[in-house]
Amino acid sequence: MVRRNLLVQSRNPGHWFLLIVLPLVDGLLFGSIGVAFGEGDAPVQLLVTGILLFHLIWQLTLAGSLGLLEEVWTRNVMNLIATPLTEREFMGSLGLVGLLRTIVSTAVIAVVGIGFYAVAPDTAGWVLVPSAAILLLFGWAVTMFVIALTLQYGDSAEVFSWGTLVLLMPLSGFFYPVESLPTVLEVVARSIPLTYVFEAVREGLATGTVAWGPLGIAAAGTLALLLLSGWFLDRQMRRFRIQGWVTRFT
Amino acid sequence: MEPAPAALVLDARGLRKRFGATQAVDGVDLAIRRGERVGIVGPNGAGKTTTLLMLLGAIEPDDGTVELVGKRLPDGRSAAMGRVGFAAGYLPLPDRLTVLETLELFGTLAGVRHARRHAEEVLAELDIARLAQQRVESLSSGQATLVGFAKAVLHHPELLVLDEPTASLDPDVAMRVRDRLERMNEDHDATLLLTSHDMREVERLTSRVVFLRDGRVIADGPPEQVVAEAGHPDLETMFLAEAARRHEDVL
Repeated sequence: MVRRNLLVQSRNPGHWFLLIVLPLVDGLLFGSIGVAFGEGDAPVQLLVTGILLFHLIWQLTLAGSLGLLEEVWTRNVMNLIATPLTEREFMGSLGLVGLLRTIVSTAVIAVVGIGFYAVAPDTAGWVLVPSAAILLLFGWAVTMFVIALTLQYGDSAEVFSWGTLVLLMPLSGFFYPVESLPTVLEVVARSIPLTYVFEAVREGLATGTVAWGPLGIAAAGTLALLLLSGWFLDRQMRRFRIQGWVTRFT
Repeated sequence: MEPAPAALVLDARGLRKRFGATQAVDGVDLAIRRGERVGIVGPNGAGKTTTLLMLLGAIEPDDGTVELVGKRLPDGRSAAMGRVGFAAGYLPLPDRLTVLETLELFGTLAGVRHARRHAEEVLAELDIARLAQQRVESLSSGQATLVGFAKAVLHHPELLVLDEPTASLDPDVAMRVRDRLERMNEDHDATLLLTSHDMREVERLTSRVVFLRDGRVIADGPPEQVVAEAGHPDLETMFLAEAARRHEDVL
């Protein structure tokens, strides 16, 4: 399934755009904004690191949710059900492809950062390691949620595949402290685990230390979200069989 | 002394399924032995597809049990599906892969070693080896149906489940598929379970017909016996009478 997904995606120009062109554009856009509106390296470092981490999580979510949508669009769901492929194996293949996409797109942004703005992608230091792990787990929780919706609503759920994280980006302070948000939204931001990851990353960029406090909150929130998404996906898979939703995809 | 009956390949008991106000399947029992050729027939809405999907584990019955090649569903679904082939005339194959890549994928998923070589052999046997490097989305509907059929037989399944297998095929190609099905049955003792709206095809391919009406089995036996007991000259006439009755009920 991994090979199949890679073949299908490599032959779809839309995927190349999302995988290479968009990270390239984002790297250039945010890097140049940092140069234009800030003094010294710090703003560029913040913006390039922020967009790099956004793609880390977004590409994983995209690969997972578009992976199922691809089966829906090509009406291949029933063909797959009629094989020994298990739900876990299917999900595992989406996760592996997502990780590969993540590596490629973050590498593109890292190259842009180093090549055009002399910003190393590891400027924030060791905090990036736990942060990346939490972000990937958060991305997987979102992926499971979107897949669960797709099982019920088919391609009507497409907007969630790319839109969920776009919605979360301004709310969870990828590029700025959430105190910059309107007060009402600041309350919302405080309930999103991503907020605490980016708080820790900014701390890492400023001081080079690992802020374990915010990371702990982010890890706990992400774990809760993973459990909730896993439960929702499991419930939707059971409803898929009980309600006969497969007939919507044939 | 009578030979012992062949092993059960499929054993479904008391299957029931309701969707909202519609009782799609209402107490279907179906036991199929190795080597049998069974056709499930009935007009639209009789419950054929829902029954098939429950037999394949894609839909969970409200009531009843399914044992497929000795594995109880839903837990044994994955183990069972490696020994079952499925194709539907209305079901396309995934885009952006060549025919050979598609067959290799499904062969690998079914646990076939050297899936590519097997795929090439099946394509040659169906006389469509020239399609191997073509993208699936560029195939005509008839060619795609043939490739779907190749996918279903690639791993030499013990039970071959076919939903409208020759629906969009030219008569000569449909004939080739039927020949292949008969050969699989005779040479490999493969069991066939098919649905079709083409009653002549059902009469030719099956030795047993299960006739559904409103989700219930109203007749089960050799085609000639089913037809005789219902007082019709042939299966086609019986089917048309049932379809007309269903149409009146709906109106």
